[in-house]
Amino acid sequence: MAKKILVVDDSKTALMMEREILEKRTNYQCVTAADGQEAVEKAQQEHPDLVLMDVVMPRMNGFEACKMMRQQASTREIPIVLVTTRSEESYMEAGFQSGCNDYITKPVDGAELVALLQSYLGE
Amino acid sequence: MNDNKSAASGTKFSGADATTDLRLVAARKRLAESRGQEDAIEGLREIVANFLGSEEIGLLRVDQTTAALQVFWSFGIDTEKYDLLLALGDAGRERVMGGECHVELAARDRSGAMAKVQAFVPIRMANQTVAILAILRLLPQKHSFDGSDMELFKLLSNEAAMPLFGANGHSKPATDEHLTDERLTDEPGMRA
Repeated sequence: MAKKILVVDDSKTALMMEREILEKRTNYQCVTAADGQEAVEKAQQEHPDLVLMDVVMPRMNGFEACKMMRQQASTREIPIVLVTTRSEESYMEAGFQSGCNDYITKPVDGAELVALLQSYLGE
Repeated sequence: MNDNKSAASGTKFSGADATTDLRLVAARKRLAESRGQEDAIEGLREIVANFLGSEEIGLLRVDQTTAALQVFWSFGIDTEKYDLLLALGDAGRERVMGGECHVELAARDRSGAMAKVQAFVPIRMANQTVAILAILRLLPQKHSFDGSDMELFKLLSNEAAMPLFGANGHSKPATDEHLTDERLTDEPGMRA
């Protein structure tokens, strides 16, 4: 059975790109959400094997969504990879404090992203 | 004063070899699915931020009668303080109006500091430059433009005009304040 990834971004362009990468270069199944709040809901409904999530989003940002997922039993153990334009160390530290497992910066390199996902999910 | 003008290049678009580049697929799809001008502009901002690594973007509109350039939209640039036309320069303007991309490549100025990488991309319709996309300061983790970025410039040059300006390419400039985001930038187009 295909591993499932929840991809979260308010940018339609980023979602399209990440979906293209997952569909063309991996066997993972992809479900999407457009903000942190929807991500928390979808994570509970869909039980993804990994969450790939933008940070700056309306309604609920990636840090907040990450914290919420870590507080809920059904989503506590799901690996979360945050994706953002910000590369400052303090910003990354805030990401790890929110409970993310990994952090990748934009512009996203397809091969790097696939390698990172495979390190968590296998091929 | 820096001498990064010496690193400028006029890039002719040729030899497309990146049909498998998923960025191109996504960018083309995003532009094609734009619903109106505002959504197309948002798509352009997303493409530049997510794929090219810049959050300082401007769009200059070309008056087809007088060839005058006017700031049409910007994001992350204080256009009151930063003059996009000055940053483009005369040589750059000539290149871009002729359909070439004007890229200021990474170079060191006289103090040894890295000068800003920036690009000006002609938005073309019917063999004419109808607008110019200005991409200014790159994100810290993005150091320069590469070959696949040039392919993306080419796509934007060829395919952005229709979603942005419609079939005749003559929509009026947007004046709504929400289309202009103000943030400070510096050199080399800073107004005196």
